[in-house]
Amino acid sequence: MSVLIFLIPITLFLGLVGVMAFLWSLKSKQYDDLEGSSNRILFDDEDEDEDDESHTKPHSKHEK
Amino acid sequence: MIKACLHCGNDTQKIAEDFCCLGCSSAYKIINKLGFKNYYNLRLIDPKERKIKPEIEEKIDLNEFVFDQKNGHFSISLMVQGIHCAACVWLIESILKKQENVVKARINLSRKSLFLEWVGEKEDGNKIAAIICDIGYKLLPFDEEIIKAESKKYDDTILKALAVAAFGAGNIMFFSIILWVYGPQTIGANTRNLLHFFSALIAIPVVIYSARPFFLSAFRSIKSGYPNMDLAIAIAIFLAIAVSLLESLRGQEYVYFDSAVMLIFFLLIGRYLDMKARKKAFSIASEFTMLSASFGRVEIDGKTKILPVKDIKKDMILIVAAGEKIAADGVVIEGEGEVDASLINGETLPKKITVGAQVFSGMINLELPLRIRVTKTAQNSLLAEIIRLSEEVENKKNHYIRIADRLSKIYTPAVHAIAFATFSLWCFYLHAGWESALMKATAVLIITCPCALALAVPIVQTIVISNFIKRGILVKSGEALEKLREIDVVIFDKTGSLTVGKPSLTEVFLLQNNQKISLNNEQKELYLKLAASLAVKSKHPISAALSKSYDGALEELQIFENKGFGLESVYQSKLLKLGRKGFCDIKNDVNLNSFEDENYITSFMKFGEDELVFLFSDQLKEDSKLVVEQLKSLGKKIILLSGDVEKSVKIIAKKIAISEFYFEQTPTSKAEFLQNLKSQNHKILMIGDGLNDAPSLAAADVSISFSDGSDISQNIADIIIQGQKLAPVISVINSSQRAIHLMKQNLLIALIYNLIALPFAVAGFVVPLVAAFAMSSSSLLVLFNSLRINKCQA
Repeated sequence: MSVLIFLIPITLFLGLVGVMAFLWSLKSKQYDDLEGSSNRILFDDEDEDEDDESHTKPHSKHEK
Repeated sequence: MIKACLHCGNDTQKIAEDFCCLGCSSAYKIINKLGFKNYYNLRLIDPKERKIKPEIEEKIDLNEFVFDQKNGHFSISLMVQGIHCAACVWLIESILKKQENVVKARINLSRKSLFLEWVGEKEDGNKIAAIICDIGYKLLPFDEEIIKAESKKYDDTILKALAVAAFGAGNIMFFSIILWVYGPQTIGANTRNLLHFFSALIAIPVVIYSARPFFLSAFRSIKSGYPNMDLAIAIAIFLAIAVSLLESLRGQEYVYFDSAVMLIFFLLIGRYLDMKARKKAFSIASEFTMLSASFGRVEIDGKTKILPVKDIKKDMILIVAAGEKIAADGVVIEGEGEVDASLINGETLPKKITVGAQVFSGMINLELPLRIRVTKTAQNSLLAEIIRLSEEVENKKNHYIRIADRLSKIYTPAVHAIAFATFSLWCFYLHAGWESALMKATAVLIITCPCALALAVPIVQTIVISNFIKRGILVKSGEALEKLREIDVVIFDKTGSLTVGKPSLTEVFLLQNNQKISLNNEQKELYLKLAASLAVKSKHPISAALSKSYDGALEELQIFENKGFGLESVYQSKLLKLGRKGFCDIKNDVNLNSFEDENYITSFMKFGEDELVFLFSDQLKEDSKLVVEQLKSLGKKIILLSGDVEKSVKIIAKKIAISEFYFEQTPTSKAEFLQNLKSQNHKILMIGDGLNDAPSLAAADVSISFSDGSDISQNIADIIIQGQKLAPVISVINSSQRAIHLMKQNLLIALIYNLIALPFAVAGFVVPLVAAFAMSSSSLLVLFNSLRINKCQA
């Protein structure tokens, strides 16, 4: 059972990493616009070929 | 065939046209040119949103609101009106990102705001914004203070606490399951002690961090002298942790760390749901206030500048275009015409003003541009006065004790007494040793801890508030729902509450031989069409009423507007005039007094030799009468309290059979009237929308306002109704009754549950496993019972 002495701190550490990640995402305002984020993900795909077109255009931002 | 405009969806009003106006057609071209035509396939038009029709109006100069980031970057936050769905977000962001100097463009769909960052010149902001305006959205700078106030009130504290508590509860449960399943004989006392140690290691920081909201609330409740349920919760959590710590140090078998942390976790779920629902209602409400943005155009050194209201100082010259809201109190120094004061004092009829007339912020200029010398700063204005008065009234209000707290007032001392009795019983009578007696007393506290009780109310409240939001009713405080049940008097304001608040066409007559003659259908069609075709060009409320009264296709006319008098055109080579009597050159002399008795507003039209009179009045909302009847049948006393003149109030009161009515009331006298009624032990529901209603809304036990009412009354009201209907008042009252019923049922379930568990706890049978099981199952039971409210409403 002495292995618990190592295993428990490891589980706690992993759990803590999860909590920290959540608190960080909260702090960086990722939960501010749930409605927008849930929809935005759908549009990037639609955008794909038009984006490709815009790569060839001189004023595309990617070339700056 | 008449089609819908390809861009904005309005009727094109012309045959075989794709667009309703030039703006829409050029917007369509812009979008196609940039390669975003997919937008039209993707979008879902929300009928409640503003149509994305470009306005030719003068644009707001945004320079004042640009934030200089000092490294050549500039940024601005704007409200975007006209966002219908995610396709709009995509369109706006994509178009902005194609602009060379734009660094960042991001829309917050929940808040309908745009954050824009660019490099280059400060002035470029206007150019970039113009692109978005050209495709039909409306951009408005907004007051950061409102957002700040919102984020201060509903910050992330609860969510953070919830996350930490979830982590704690999950991890402690690992250890607890081992402890529950295997006795010390299997895992050995040392392993058990190790697990206790780790449990304590998790539980103590979690309690310190996550239980803060309860400790703080408990502390506040002691200070204010109204002990609430949080006090009982705080005591139970504290004792559970303290006793468990003691027991684990002594190497004993049972600890309650898991119960304490789980308790916090469950309670925080309830708190979080509750906060989320209220936050949503609050942010929709603040969106209304932001959209009616408060800025004024001020002339400084011959240049016009747009300033936020708070920066408008005394003696500045304010310029107010037709159709704009006056931003500060002042005296007219140039221009004359009419202002709409209905939100200020409840008068329906536009007020005539000339040079030297006093005007107040919040009035709407209807006709000609006005120049106004500001006489009072925002801090001393009528608006500020009203806000002060409202706050004063609000402070006088009695503290309302909510159902859950009322119950806990009896429940908490009783539970504590039983816990103490249990301790005494085991310690002094059964001689079990004080540690073991304390353990049993703690078990009593944990098992009776009002976990389910504390969930009983917020869960129902959350479900009810969320359901209301879907129906356009914003409930800003859960307290209001509970208070609605006790209401016995309903006080209505007239203008904008019982009535629409805007004039609408009531009758049309042809004038011949000094007589008024009713029109046949054919004539009616023709004249209304002509009147509406003329009226589209003007912003006057009467013109708006005329355009609204005719929904067929309009004639295209060359219209000449004679501001302040009327509109003129030629149709079928006959002169067509619409406006005041003198302007239209009306020859017939009809006794119009009979109209004015009914409090009509008159407007005239002359077409060739035909003379017509249009009668307008502020009509009742379509369901006002029904709502008043229903309220009466519910046994409520109805009172009409208006700032308008006797005649108008009397007519309305008669129409919907309200016997008790008061007219020409000032804001103060309205509030006093309410306070008087309250001192006679009446519980009052106040329904009003104007600035003059604000103090009485604050004085009432529950207050309802409307989304197109004044900002201040929306800020004060507990409940805001969107749209033109009054019927939501009834559904709010009914739903709140059902909600209270369910809350009480939940409380009863929780109470019975605790009563059954209590003897076991006193007898010492409640080991941690039982406590954990009892706690979670009672919470679940309450939750499922609450979900029934969706069924009741269906």
